[in-house]
Amino acid sequence: MQKISNFLIKIGTLKDMKRRGWVLRGVKNPESIADHTFRMTLAAWLLALKGGLNVNRVIKMALIHDLCEVYAGDSTPYDHFLPKNAKDLKKLVATWPRLSKAEKQHLSSKKYHKEDTALNKLIVDLPLNIKKEIKGLWIDYEQGLTKEGRFVRQIDRLENLLQALEYWKKDRKFPISSWWVQIEELVDQPDLIEFMISLEKTFTPQKGRAK
Amino acid sequence: MKNQGFFLTKEGLKRFKDEYQELKRLKSFKVSGESPRIFHSEDINPEFLAYQEDLELLDARIMELEDILKNVQPITVPPKEKQGVVGLGAMITVEVDGQEDELEIVGTLEANPSLGRISNESPVGRNLVGRRVGDEVVVRSAAATTYKIKKIVYHNNTKSGCKR
Repeated sequence: MQKISNFLIKIGTLKDMKRRGWVLRGVKNPESIADHTFRMTLAAWLLALKGGLNVNRVIKMALIHDLCEVYAGDSTPYDHFLPKNAKDLKKLVATWPRLSKAEKQHLSSKKYHKEDTALNKLIVDLPLNIKKEIKGLWIDYEQGLTKEGRFVRQIDRLENLLQALEYWKKDRKFPISSWWVQIEELVDQPDLIEFMISLEKTFTPQKGRAK
Repeated sequence: MKNQGFFLTKEGLKRFKDEYQELKRLKSFKVSGESPRIFHSEDINPEFLAYQEDLELLDARIMELEDILKNVQPITVPPKEKQGVVGLGAMITVEVDGQEDELEIVGTLEANPSLGRISNESPVGRNLVGRRVGDEVVVRSAAATTYKIKKIVYHNNTKSGCKR
């Protein structure tokens, strides 16, 4: 029982860890990693009901997808070329970063190994069956191995988009376009495209989508 | 999805076939009650460790793989006269917001935008398919984004060298 309580104490730090993407964009009092996981898990549950997915697996995957950040910290695609002055940073985060194929592979692999090590450290003392389940779910999420893994990856970004839209609604100077760019390159499941369009209609009703 | 099948590169098809064979063997070990020592190798994807714990999950994955392999549509290089058009398997160079990027158009099972692998069913993928060099494709979300196509290449083996 001590090992379970130790694990829960460690993951409690996610309630205080501010998400880095919002910090870089100057959002005041941004959400924590746990805040994101809470709404993302609900979104995953509700939207999975329509898709013929293993809902139990989807919910668990959403719950554990960012646990590695207890030790690995939150990361963004901008981390490897952050400018020192605020003006350049503002310009940088206004667009989605474009990298060469080699850079994409290198950074993706580096991030994966860092998070893999962090997750192993976090779950090391958990009962073997739970440890294996968490690890299997995380690998599926990271690599999109199953339909549930691919679904949860897309839900993750859609929840990010929703949060970005909420910040943008409060402050129209918030750079929103890079969120749309990444989501439109990622989301490909019909129900989730429909959800994306519903967010678009809710937050920007004046803009029509061309068919 | 079932209507049009699952588009896979040569490499992707091999990976799914290998996984299917390995999971079938794992299931036969589980049913016979033997320890699947063969899967203790570090070369085996650790996801299989989770399958070892959950027979229901293992069966579900085997069924999913059977469906994929039954309905697979291999991605092949188009004839020369059609290689100037973006299609599945194309590696394209685009300019977006003043920056260059390399994208590969793949099916949903192999998509991973963080590695530049864009699903043909995503809004960007759908808009790019059928276009040619010089075309400017506007993806109409709340923030209209323009993709200018600068180069289209098909590799003979249509495989990609990156892990998903």
